[in-house]
Amino acid sequence: MGHNQESGGRRLDRRRFLTAAAIGGATIVGASALGGLDAEAAFAAPMPSLDPAIRAAFAEGRVVAVNRGVLDVAGSHGERHLIQLTNATSVWKLRTTTAEAIESGDGLYARGVTMPDGTIAADAVWVNIVNVHCTIRGIAKDRLHLAHGNHELVGRIVPATTTASYLGGALTSDLSRMRIGQTAQVLGAWRPADNHIDIARLTLGH
Amino acid sequence: MACGSTYLWAGEATWFCCGNAWGSCGSENTGACGTCQSSKNMAAWPNLSSACWNITRPDLCGENMPRRACGSVMNIRHQCSGATVCVTLADCGPRTQSFCGEATCCSGTCRTNRVVDLTPAAYSAIGSLSSGLLPVYIYE
Repeated sequence: MGHNQESGGRRLDRRRFLTAAAIGGATIVGASALGGLDAEAAFAAPMPSLDPAIRAAFAEGRVVAVNRGVLDVAGSHGERHLIQLTNATSVWKLRTTTAEAIESGDGLYARGVTMPDGTIAADAVWVNIVNVHCTIRGIAKDRLHLAHGNHELVGRIVPATTTASYLGGALTSDLSRMRIGQTAQVLGAWRPADNHIDIARLTLGH
Repeated sequence: MACGSTYLWAGEATWFCCGNAWGSCGSENTGACGTCQSSKNMAAWPNLSSACWNITRPDLCGENMPRRACGSVMNIRHQCSGATVCVTLADCGPRTQSFCGEATCCSGTCRTNRVVDLTPAAYSAIGSLSSGLLPVYIYE
């Protein structure tokens, strides 16, 4: 294995692991070893400790170009990032997916390790992910009309994907118990084309 | 100011964006303290001020956490993995009262009620953003 993992302490040398993954010479055990878990896995299993000696790098912004596994990203404050995707990078875009799903114009958050050449080797990339506190203003068969602060949002219900949790209960695909005026936390993927949100999970409150 | 190791609180951590430029986060500003950025290790605390408390009302869920001001630092620790991140308070939140009784679990142990809101940078340092909620211990 191309990385150091103590079976008892579960501590990983992130830099060595991602460096090996970036050059393609490692046997990769999966991004979940570094915490790039999907929602269900994250609830089900504790994440191994990340090596505290190596500070995690973080980047956010809009994808300007995708070139041979490297994302050219323009940050919100004028900075620029080159993000190297590896065969160990966990990619989320509404659901766990592959690097091919990433397009120019997408927004992202990325976590990884800064490499000697300044690029960030990513262990996880969350594409277009948003997590907003809203109030339900309208309910249709395929969408919700939401108030987010002083802004209106449209949340699209995605068949076989959108789930809900009512008052702290378990996740369910039953969306029939929503009501107008209810508080909702909406975790989903922003759609640059129409500014709507594809809903992954609704957490419904009081 | 360095992060300490004195236990302060425990509960659920969620995440929020601020000072960002894309998606629904693009309309967010720099938080109650005027310093919040999604790419920095920052957090929102329900008792940042009396005005903040009146919005979040964690006491309605049985959480009477102490007041801490803008710029205070806290160490957020994932309950099960032990991964930690040092954050600076930059905003008011989360709205604890809206989700009273909500629980998040790992390794069979659950934490109840939203007690801290982290920026994407801070949250991703200890877990996956797609999880939405994590059980945490808070130290200062």
